[in-house]
Amino acid sequence: MDNIIESKNMILTKLNSKLSETFSEDIYRSVVDNTNELYLEANPEHILEICTYINTTLGYPLISMFANDEQSLCDKYAVYYVFADREQGILLIIKTLVDPNKMEIRSITKKVHAAALYEREINDLFGIVPVGHPNPKRLVFHSNWPQAEHPLRKDFDVKHKLDFAKEETDFQKVTGEGVYEIPVGPIHAGIIEPGHFRFSVVGEPIINLEAQLYYTHKGIEKMCEGQSIERCLYVAERISGDETFANSLTYCQAIEKIAKVKIPTRAEYTRVVFAELERLTNHLGDLGGLCLDAAYGFATFQFRMMKGWAYWIADELCGMRFLRSVNKLGGVRQDFILGKELKTIEELKKIKSELEDTVKIIKSNSMFIDRVENTGILQTKIATDLNAVGPSGRASGLCFDVRKSFPYEAYKQLEFNIPKHNNGDINCRMNTKIKECFESIYLMIQAIETMPSGKLLEPVKTFEPYQCAFGLTEAPRGENIHWIMTGENNTIFRYKIRTPSFCNWPALCHAVKGNIVPDFPIINKSFNLSYAGNDL
Amino acid sequence: MFNTVKKIIKYPRVTGDYPNKPLDSSLFIGKPEIDLSKCNRCGECLSRCPSNAIVMDKTSNNIGINYDECIFCALCEDVCQSEAVKMTNSFELAEKDKNKLRMNTLVIEEKNISDPDYEIICSDLKANIKKIFGRSLQIREVDSGSCNGCDTEINALNNPFNDIERLGISFVPSPRHADMLLVTGTAVRNMQNALIKAYNATPDPKIVVAVGACACSGGIFKDAYATSNGIDSIVPVDVYVPGCPPRPQAIIYGILKALDRVR
Ligand code: SF4
Repeated sequence: MDNIIESKNMILTKLNSKLSETFSEDIYRSVVDNTNELYLEANPEHILEICTYINTTLGYPLISMFANDEQSLCDKYAVYYVFADREQGILLIIKTLVDPNKMEIRSITKKVHAAALYEREINDLFGIVPVGHPNPKRLVFHSNWPQAEHPLRKDFDVKHKLDFAKEETDFQKVTGEGVYEIPVGPIHAGIIEPGHFRFSVVGEPIINLEAQLYYTHKGIEKMCEGQSIERCLYVAERISGDETFANSLTYCQAIEKIAKVKIPTRAEYTRVVFAELERLTNHLGDLGGLCLDAAYGFATFQFRMMKGWAYWIADELCGMRFLRSVNKLGGVRQDFILGKELKTIEELKKIKSELEDTVKIIKSNSMFIDRVENTGILQTKIATDLNAVGPSGRASGLCFDVRKSFPYEAYKQLEFNIPKHNNGDINCRMNTKIKECFESIYLMIQAIETMPSGKLLEPVKTFEPYQCAFGLTEAPRGENIHWIMTGENNTIFRYKIRTPSFCNWPALCHAVKGNIVPDFPIINKSFNLSYAGNDL
Repeated sequence: MFNTVKKIIKYPRVTGDYPNKPLDSSLFIGKPEIDLSKCNRCGECLSRCPSNAIVMDKTSNNIGINYDECIFCALCEDVCQSEAVKMTNSFELAEKDKNKLRMNTLVIEEKNISDPDYEIICSDLKANIKKIFGRSLQIREVDSGSCNGCDTEINALNNPFNDIERLGISFVPSPRHADMLLVTGTAVRNMQNALIKAYNATPDPKIVVAVGACACSGGIFKDAYATSNGIDSIVPVDVYVPGCPPRPQAIIYGILKALDRVR
């Protein structure tokens, strides 16, 4: 353990001196927090050069970006740019301050493409204008939201309900002979979440897709500010229903870092079991949905049956199908696994053998494979630029997984492989998910078998104010990042949530281009993104 | 092909027979109940409940839970020192009258958003509604800003275990084909308009079922700038199904309750 801290420390010191050399005048201060987080305060004038250097020369992707109203601390707003070194497992955070009288930052989007949506988000929530952004449209708010209101500023009252403004929404226009638009949503034909899609089409192929999301925007980030840290755990569980456990785990991880507690080993293993169970359940659901959209009824019902079995395991272990109220700050609520080991392993093996059979059947169905092969290709270059994460990224050649690059809980002690594909089509995403199902089952069985006995909860009660930490986990859809800053009296000062769906939505919009309209549902399903997790 | 047939023969029927046969709910975590004889009114659960669902009446010293707001998180059971709160396994909680779910009563404003012409026909038909739908029902699901937990559970009604079509109930793609709107989520700002449009597009007579704590009362998301406290502030609601999320069988129970097919 000490070795790891030391080696991380060395890497960070090296990185720090390298950056300080390159930008000697422009980096004011550096702090190392929570072993692997290096915070550098930088000159806002040269933020573009610094970020470009980190992104292009060092090759660190931008994995999150957010603002924070720190007027009560330093009379300024702060903007944080978070870069990750996924090989060494470190986070590099560039912080710049924004003067409340001049609410502007230099846009870095033209050089660091992944920043495009974050900058628009910050503009909506804080009113900090990204100067030089190529497409500074509104993101979070629709035309019914008054222009001058920015809810994440501290002087905005969370209960304040604004009047509805009446403005027109303008969508990207594609013009030319034979181009027409197909508007879809917000309410869709199936039982799915709301969102509006604008297709520009010539004949059958899609030329452009613009997704207007944020229909389910509830204001979760604002809602948590000033609330007790305990209560926000339950809000975190409800960020995205099917990723309940991943989100609560990420939240707990960040809070436990702030409280500087090490959770009991048995709790770590228990968390692995539940995290993998959630992944298995979700992937089985996705595979079922994929088959449904290809009108392959038999396979759909096979997968749905297996998903049902996975839910049974959840019910047997904790009585909650969505694994809610399993995590607690400092561990897990009770010993969910004790006495149920054999039964659970037996059920897992049953799912495994059924999955093997089913996969064999669907792969020998040439009509089905024909439908998914070379459809909805997400190119590696685009995936890299947009920081596509999770199975969708791995299907396009971005072979990283938070469980390996930032190992948490007991993943270090367990053995598993990360699938990698290069073609980036539906078939690759499907194969990635199939492979991950088997890996999850294998991980769960390992964790249950090697789990040491012991206690499950290391109670945490009080938290230092104005401390911050990242939670970083691999949710079923990919890399999930929460950043938390505590406030006084064990409350939350700022809670930034970035779910994998946020990164993958733009990737989806690229992947559908050139495909025919009837293939959109199946491409969409192969990504299976969460609207709630994106809209917050 | 041979393998496919083999599988079909292997699993001829996995569908459960709920509600004709009761479900084994011994493992479920259902609604919490307070044993008033054990409770010493310390108010700990009250102050820590994430969705402020527990209320105490100062004058009568009575304590209770508003199940429309409860998110079934079991925190009250954990924090209670005198072990007065217990999570039971009862999940069939749907009610037509919201106040039956509540400890302190709430006045729900009458909303008038539908076209007046339909209003008259509607009131005549409402009386006959159950006769008309008989044993078949078409449902349109509307997500008005949920966390997708409730939607996943509604989706699960179509899986081989629940197979809701065996009850003559099916989901349709358009509100124009629907008899019932199954609404999840808190009717967030951006969905209010769409919800009203879907409501008005549904031909009369129609039934609205609010699924989940969010739709019943706003749940954990109530009182924020972009959410509302339950969909009944936007459209009239016939049946409330509490839960966060309610299990598929609890939703079936709620749907059948709306049709008076269960007591
Ligand atoms: S009631 Fe619970 S599960 Fe349903 S949408 Fe609301 S938070 Fe999600």
